[in-house]
Amino acid sequence: MKGMHGIIFSYEKKTGLRELLEHRIHGSVPIGGDYRVVDFMLSNMVNAGVQDVGIIMQGKCQSMLDHLSNGKSWDLSRKHGGLTLLPAFAYAENRGGVGKFRGKVEALACVLDYLVEDVRQDYVVLADSDLVINIPLDDVLQDHIAAGADITCVCTSVPGESSDTYFKLDDSGRIVDTAYDLYNPEGYRSLNLYILATDLLIRLVRDCMAHNQYSFRHNILQEMGSKLQLRGYVWDGYAARISTVQNYYDRSMELLQSDIRAELFCPERPIYAKESDACSTYVDPDGECINSLIADGCDIQGSVKNSILFRGVKVEKGAKVEGCILFKNTVVKKDAVLHSVIADKYVVINEGRQLMGHEHYPLVLGRGSEV
Amino acid sequence: MKKECVAMLLAGGQGSRLYVLTGDMAKPAVPFGGKFRIIDFPLSNCTNSGIDTVGVLTQYRPLELNSYIGNGQPWELDRMHGGVHILPPYQSATGASWYKGTANAIYQNIGFVDLYDPEYVVVLSGDHIYKMDYSDMLRRHKEAEADCTIAVMEVPWDEAPRFGIMNVDGEDTIVEFEEKPKNPKSNLASMGIYIFSWQKMRAYLIADENDENSSNDFGKNIIPNMLAAGEKMVAYRFEGYWKDVGTLDSLWDANMDMLSPASGLNLLDRAWPIYGRTPSCPPAFVGEKSDVGNSAIAKGCVIEGEVKNSVLSVGVTVKEGAQVSYSVLMPGAVVEEGAVVQYAILGENTVVAKGAKVGCAPECAEDPGKWGIAVLGPNTKLAENEIVPAKTMLDKTHQGV
Repeated sequence: MKGMHGIIFSYEKKTGLRELLEHRIHGSVPIGGDYRVVDFMLSNMVNAGVQDVGIIMQGKCQSMLDHLSNGKSWDLSRKHGGLTLLPAFAYAENRGGVGKFRGKVEALACVLDYLVEDVRQDYVVLADSDLVINIPLDDVLQDHIAAGADITCVCTSVPGESSDTYFKLDDSGRIVDTAYDLYNPEGYRSLNLYILATDLLIRLVRDCMAHNQYSFRHNILQEMGSKLQLRGYVWDGYAARISTVQNYYDRSMELLQSDIRAELFCPERPIYAKESDACSTYVDPDGECINSLIADGCDIQGSVKNSILFRGVKVEKGAKVEGCILFKNTVVKKDAVLHSVIADKYVVINEGRQLMGHEHYPLVLGRGSEV
Repeated sequence: MKKECVAMLLAGGQGSRLYVLTGDMAKPAVPFGGKFRIIDFPLSNCTNSGIDTVGVLTQYRPLELNSYIGNGQPWELDRMHGGVHILPPYQSATGASWYKGTANAIYQNIGFVDLYDPEYVVVLSGDHIYKMDYSDMLRRHKEAEADCTIAVMEVPWDEAPRFGIMNVDGEDTIVEFEEKPKNPKSNLASMGIYIFSWQKMRAYLIADENDENSSNDFGKNIIPNMLAAGEKMVAYRFEGYWKDVGTLDSLWDANMDMLSPASGLNLLDRAWPIYGRTPSCPPAFVGEKSDVGNSAIAKGCVIEGEVKNSVLSVGVTVKEGAQVSYSVLMPGAVVEEGAVVQYAILGENTVVAKGAKVGCAPECAEDPGKWGIAVLGPNTKLAENEIVPAKTMLDKTHQGV
């Protein structure tokens, strides 16, 4: 069958997201006032005509499971295919019940039956769940087919961290070198977004596992780089990988820029989020609201500046919120002052409290905490 | 499969008094309160009251309404058995006809109701803004062993002549019904919400259809006929917010009521949520130079100008230097730089170009007797610096350049 099958990896890995991951996995971190990080990749896939998506999950996935539900929000609740949740515990026995995946190939090997039996499409797109991006994946597939590549790797010329993977491309776009943990990162940074033929993927996974190899970037991209046609697809549009509290804060605040919002939320490729039944936000006559993103259902009686408010946030009279990211149902009581704070869901800031983080070290309040 | 109670929602009306807004859509599909449409209120009330089978009777311009309701998923009315069903007039062996009146609309769908063999049928209309627990009304209907229960509310005595008035005895049994009485004996107004015992109602609908002189209307025919025949009819007193939004003024009023907690219309109340279908769009953005106060703003809005005492629906844009006050902006409306919108309703996707002025405050009106809300119908476009005086109505044929 023509088209792509989506596979999203949502398993625990090392990140610097600290308190934000106390109750969840990186893909279900709330972002942009109304979204979870994984909404972007799911929407990218759906907008490219992907009908079936499998999500390999392991770790603290309760919040992810709640969020994804049956996939209805992304139109992935289907009679055939649609969204398939692939929790690791159902497959761990295949690999002797190891706790954590050591790499993508191992994760794929755990769901090999799924790959063989349930992937109806000729191509597979592999993606991480921590990437905030709005990319036309159907164009990437066209390019992949036209170029006759074995694996197309989406990458960007925008530099990132040294632990990221970097590609060296020749003039034809072929990847001639793959490296990570570079002292001086150079080349094109991988966005860990790959397209390849389904049968090739299954062959590679079987081959790797037969040799006790588990890493996609080491055992496939590096070791097989000379045998396979690896192609770099350069995407220099907006792409934010959420990996630390600091970059979560910085990349979130970028969404206050209208050009970035226009690109990320372009109307021809909408980003779908779980529907809420919240009514509109109410701004009181005494309320003030400047340069901020405000989700529905908020009640703003105090002052909000340069901030992102999720659904149902309440800011009482005299309270001042500046440079903050307040998750769902945060309550900021009378005369409280918050500066550069990230408040997780259901946080309560009591009357008159003052909390100051810094834009270079935002203060994170764990879910449900009361100050 | 048997259901205890089925709701029949009358949504076929043209809403002629809202005409600039209802040129292309039925009244129940008119946007309300930022994220909703009028029909969301009765549909959500059904869901919250545990009624999972709803027939929506449509006739006038049903396309927008049909696609809005879809499979009923936003209201959890996508059910294996029951759920929401759109019921347009249809052709049968004996012929075909439009719905002649409210009673005839249900008469023509007796077959639909019979599919569920219900004990009771709730009859609702698609042009009221209110939150009501129909299951409590049904409890009253059962306890009183009534054949018909009519929801009523006390209205100010001076307004009573505008309503259908129920005169009741000490136990709230209805003894007399007067349509728009000049000298009302009671101030209990019918809210147009009825519960009938189905078999009884069925018989009256058939008898009414056979009466050639009948206008096939609940208020004019069925209710008086049942009362005359001595059927047990009781009133169910409702206290709370309720508004018929059949006129442009009342539609504007009801939107403004959202902004004052004292009105009783508190949509932030999560105990009785109202559901609706809204497009995917990012949260509202309120810019550096904006000034927003006493207003409701919905997702997708981009506000760079001044917004006071207004209701902004999903995806509304107010550009820098624009001023919006005491107005209702329906989804996708755009107010460009320097434009002023006061005491107005802007329909979906209207564009108020740079420097244009729509409406004015009552105190600024040249002739206070002629003041009123200015209304732009959906897809209207104004020219730059165009002036639309108070009480003016323009529709989409107006495309200023």
